Order: sequence, then structure tokens, then C-alpha cells
Amino acid sequence: MVKRYAGATEALKGVDLRVEEGEFFGLFGPNGAGKTSLLKILTGQLQPTAGSATVLGIDTARDPMAVKAAVGIVPEVESPPSYLTSYEYLYFVGRVRKVGSLDARILSWLDFFELDGMRSTLCKDLSKGTRQKLMLAAAFLHEPRVLFLDEPFINLDPIFQRRLKDWLLEYRAKGGTVFMCSHLLAIAEKLADRVAVIHDGRIIASGSLSEVRGQYDDLESAFLHLVGKP
Amino acid sequence: MLELLRFMLKEEFRMHTSYTTKRMFLMFPVMVTLFSLAIALTSERIFLDTPLAQVLLVLHLSVFLYGLSVGAFGFLGRQYQERATGYRNYIVTTPATLPMSFRQTFLGMYLRDAIFYILLLLAPMALGVALSVPWTHFRLTSVALLFLATLLTFLLGMSLSFAISTLYVRSVPAFAAAVAAVSGLFAAAGLLDVVPLESLLPGLGLQYAVPPYAASVPAALGYAGLATLLVLALTAAAVLFVEDRYESKTSRSADTLPTVEARLPLFRSSRVLLAKELVDLKRSGTPVKMLFSFVLPLIFLAFTAWFVRNGLAVPVGFNTVFYGGMVGFFGVSLYNWLNNVDGVDYLASLPLTVPQVIKVKLRAFLILTTWISTLFVVAISWLNQDTRLLWLALPVMFVVSVYMVVVTAYLTGLRTNSFFFNFGIMAKFSVMSMLPDICLTILSFTVDRDLVFSVAGIAVVLVALGVTTWILYRGLEARWGRAEFGE
Repeated sequence: MVKRYAGATEALKGVDLRVEEGEFFGLFGPNGAGKTSLLKILTGQLQPTAGSATVLGIDTARDPMAVKAAVGIVPEVESPPSYLTSYEYLYFVGRVRKVGSLDARILSWLDFFELDGMRSTLCKDLSKGTRQKLMLAAAFLHEPRVLFLDEPFINLDPIFQRRLKDWLLEYRAKGGTVFMCSHLLAIAEKLADRVAVIHDGRIIASGSLSEVRGQYDDLESAFLHLVGKP
Repeated sequence: MLELLRFMLKEEFRMHTSYTTKRMFLMFPVMVTLFSLAIALTSERIFLDTPLAQVLLVLHLSVFLYGLSVGAFGFLGRQYQERATGYRNYIVTTPATLPMSFRQTFLGMYLRDAIFYILLLLAPMALGVALSVPWTHFRLTSVALLFLATLLTFLLGMSLSFAISTLYVRSVPAFAAAVAAVSGLFAAAGLLDVVPLESLLPGLGLQYAVPPYAASVPAALGYAGLATLLVLALTAAAVLFVEDRYESKTSRSADTLPTVEARLPLFRSSRVLLAKELVDLKRSGTPVKMLFSFVLPLIFLAFTAWFVRNGLAVPVGFNTVFYGGMVGFFGVSLYNWLNNVDGVDYLASLPLTVPQVIKVKLRAFLILTTWISTLFVVAISWLNQDTRLLWLALPVMFVVSVYMVVVTAYLTGLRTNSFFFNFGIMAKFSVMSMLPDICLTILSFTVDRDLVFSVAGIAVVLVALGVTTWILYRGLEARWGRAEFGE
């Protein structure tokens, strides 16, 4: 798959990747390596310049709406709508996604992220961490089969990092698939079944954790070596 | 300050060109120059029907209104200060993290917009007239004076709007009082004739103090000095009104979205989107801003028409049908406001398309504006004792409103403000708006001479606009279906 932006910036220069259902897949790479472009193509937010991507049997370029309806997406930047309350944002997402038993689900996620006390606060006045929790709750609300997470742990305190990690492992155990981009290699190392390293628009390594780690003690050392910054 | 201004100008230029290409953006001032040249070349014919004094009055009022719309960024002050995240951010928000003051950056913004829009519009306009000099009766000195006078009028409008809009952020009652005072002054000039209009628009006074009206150097200098003084005083006041230290307060609200949604049973699939749009508008205080940018031009339009008819004693046929059409054309600014309430990046992760959201905004536009436009047309017909034509004026207003907003949505999508500086889009918009405008204006003038002909002509125009509206509305899917959400 290739992605070239107007202005000739080539974000992806031939990416070939397969993630199995029920897998926790981690994608790592330096800033500007092409992680977010790839994630946006996989979730129907961007069209590839060449090649194609299929998620749950759906061609993401041909039917982006079907992909977005089927998966849960946590974007790179936490930006819920400024003038809705926390509750209303989840209500809005639930109505767009046609989620059943909506009120009960919203209350359950507000409770999970301990947002009950802020349910009536306008999103523009929430802290970055709280916005991130809200974006996560919005992605999980419709119980999707696949989750695409771009830096999901960013801005979360250690308590909620732990809570989220546990929930994601439980989700995978129940058959869910996770595709996660992150710079937090230590966390990813504990969660991912398989990983890939993307650098300058190309996948330069992929496989199980032990395969990618190779001779190094941890993923961080292997990553630095792979991207040429040992 | 100069360094800051340099960066802000670069930022503004890059922001506009990021939505189009540099060439298309730079074609915009070229287009203004060519338009202006064309008007100047045909000016002798225009002056046969419309006296120069009237042309200058309309020009200065238009430039003043344009200045008012450009300077209204003071409304955005708190939003800039609150903006902590987003895919794009601007220099104006940097005082939050750097040892700079918001007052300084707002002054920078004022100077940036003044320079930017002078180069984009006023200078090309003057250049167009200057280029006509070999073929027309204009002289370069009078073109230079025209530029100076319109520049002062533009800056006056901009600084007045800047001051009033920053006042709004401080105190809504003070803002209302200021708007009432300014409206009162213009009413005193236009309706009661107790304040000379030249003292409110000294740029116009400067124009009337030089040939062909007079040749009074002291009067010209006096008006130029008064205008400069007013611009400086208003800008200084605006900068003082900017809150330099802003403490964010937590806004809480009852969860009204489900209730609002339940009140919109007619809208089926788009109910929740429309409900969100209405909730957003209410909580962001946008209706006040919309009212400011919609009602004020309407009042000025009514004032100009009244002044031309009674002040200048020129018998023009501005009847209710004419106002119906004009109200429809002003609706474009409201659609622009609808696109400026909040970012839409978060919608990218939901199963929604840009055309769906555009259509919801069009519905919100109709809900919000139809009653204001209707009230205005009814009020102006009553004031002008011309209610007999309401039956014709209201359909004209409604069809033109819907047509104009659909044209704008089709051409600019969710980025109205930026796309209007794209030469290609502006050219299409000009053709699509001017043609029906000219047709309806001419036909409205013939109502009293030949009612049957006039009504038949207007009916044909309205049917054509209706069909075009339908085609463009259906075409939204094809034009914007692949567009991405985002600033």
C-alpha cells in the first residue's frame, strides 16, 4: 500500500501487513514514520494512493462507512466536541452508531473511567486525560470486534493505564482484535502478541515479540537499533 | 512586535493556501483588480444613471461593512485562549505557554488582518481603477485619494468591530449598549439628519472635501485626522478590553441533547446531528455573533436605501421584493458562522460523511434564519408602507435564501471562510450569485410598471433557482463524498 499526500509527501512507500482476528497487534515507529497515515487508511479516514486495505472483509477505500461502523477508533488527538457534556458526547456517538440500551452503556463507561462527577461538564473544560478517557469510552461504546487505537495511554495516569491494560487484555481474551500505535514500548511489550516497526513509510520488521526483539533484551533497544539510533 | 507580525502574516498566508494552491489564492487579488478595472472602464455609463456621490456612499458603506466583518475576531478571544488541543493551532494561542501577552498577539492579529485584507482587496481595487487611467477620466491623484479614503473607512469598520467584539467577551450588557449607541448614531445621521454622516464615516467626508465636490485642504486634512484618531482610539480600547489573564471556568450543563433530539421527530436519521448542532449553537453563544453579522448588514441596507431615497433625493425603486432578494443573499454569512462553531475532527472516527454533516448544517440554517429573515422583510415592508408586495417578497426571500446557502455549501463544504479566497471558487460563486441578483433587482424595479411581466419574470427566475438548488443539493454527495473531516 502506498500513500502520497498532495505536495508529494510520501507517507507510506509500500506497506504489506496482515493482522489476524483475535490478535493484539502493536505498531511502532519514530515520529512521522507513517503510523497515523496507516491507521487512518485502515479505518476508512484516508484513501491509499495505490494498493488496498481490508478490515473484517470490508475494503476500507470502497466502503469507509461500513468500516467505521464496525470498528472502534481512538484518534491521535483527543478532541471531543467542545459544547457537549461528557454524557451527551457518548449519547451522540451511541445514537450515530445506533447502539441499543444506550443509557445503561453510557453510565457503565462513565463509571469505568470514573467520569460520573464530570458527566455534566462541557468537554471544552475537561482536562486532557479526561478527554482521552472520553474518547476511549466513545470507541468502546458499541462493543466493536476490532479496535484501532492511536496512543491510547497518552495523558492517562498510572491508575487508568493499568485499568485500560487489564480491560484490553480481557477484550482480546474474549476474541476482540486490537491494532495499536504507540511510543510507550514498555506498555506495548506487555500487551502485544505481534508487533511491527515502521520507519520512513516502510515496515522494517514484523513478527512475534521475540522475533522482533531478536538479540536485544527489550523492545526499546531493538527498536532503536532497527531505526538506526542505537 | 514586527517579528510577531511577520510570523502571523506567514501563518495567515499558509493557512489560506493550505486549502487551495498558492496560484489559485494569488489569483484572488488579480480577479479583484480585473473586476475593478472593468467597472472603472464602464464608469462613464454608470455615472449617467447613478451619480458619483451615490456610488461613493455605497462604496464606503460596503467597505465599512467589510471592515466590521473582518474585525469581529475579538469574539473569538476566549475560544483562542481556551483552545488547548486540536490538529491545528495558531500563533495567537502561544501566550498560554510563552512569555507573551494576549494583548500583544491580538494587536498583532489586528495588524495582520488589516495588512492581509488591504493587500487582498483594497489595494487590488485601487490598482484596477489606476489601470483604467489611460482610457478614463480618472486621475492618479484621485485614485490615490480614493484608496486613502476607503482605507480609513475600512480601518474604522475593523477597529469598531474589534472594540465591540472584545467588549462582548468582557460584558454582554456593555456590548449591547455599544451596539445600541453605534446604531443610534447612524440612525441620528440617516433618519433624523442631526449628525452629519461624514462625521461618522470621515473617509467619506474626506472624499467629499476634494474635487469634484470641493477643494478644501483643511476640511480634507480634518476628516483624515478624525478618521485616524477614531481608528487609533478604538484599536487602543479594543486592546485594553482583551483579557490578558484568563482563568478558565468549568462550564456545566444539563444533558439536554436527548430532549432536543426528541423535539425533532421530522428529521429522522439526522435528528441527533441536528440536535447537536442546535445545542452547540446555543452553548457557544454563536446566535449573538450571527445576529451581529446578519442583522447589522440588513439595518445598513435599509439605512442606505432610505438615505439614497430621502437624503440624496434619488427616486430608486427599492420595494419589498428587492429587500426579499437581498435578505436571501445575506444568508451566506450565517452558513459561514455555522461552520465556525467548533472543530469537526472527532467526526472522522464515526460512520458519518462530510455531505451528511453539510446537509444537517443546511437544516440548522433554515431553522435558525427563516423566521429572522421573514421578520425583517415584514418589518421593512411595514416601515416603507409597502406591505402590498409581501406575497411576492416572501417567496423570493425563501427561494433565494435556500439557493444561496446551497450554492455556498456546494462550493465550500465545511470550510466556507477559507474557500472564498480560492479564485476558482470565488469566480463560480460570483457568477452564481450575481446573475440571479441582477435579474431579481431589475425585475423588482418593474413591479409598479408592469406587474404581470414582473411576476412572470420573477417566477421564471425562482423556478430556475429552485431547480439549480435541487441539482446542487443532490450533487453534494458527489462533490464532498470523499472529503475528510478536519480544519
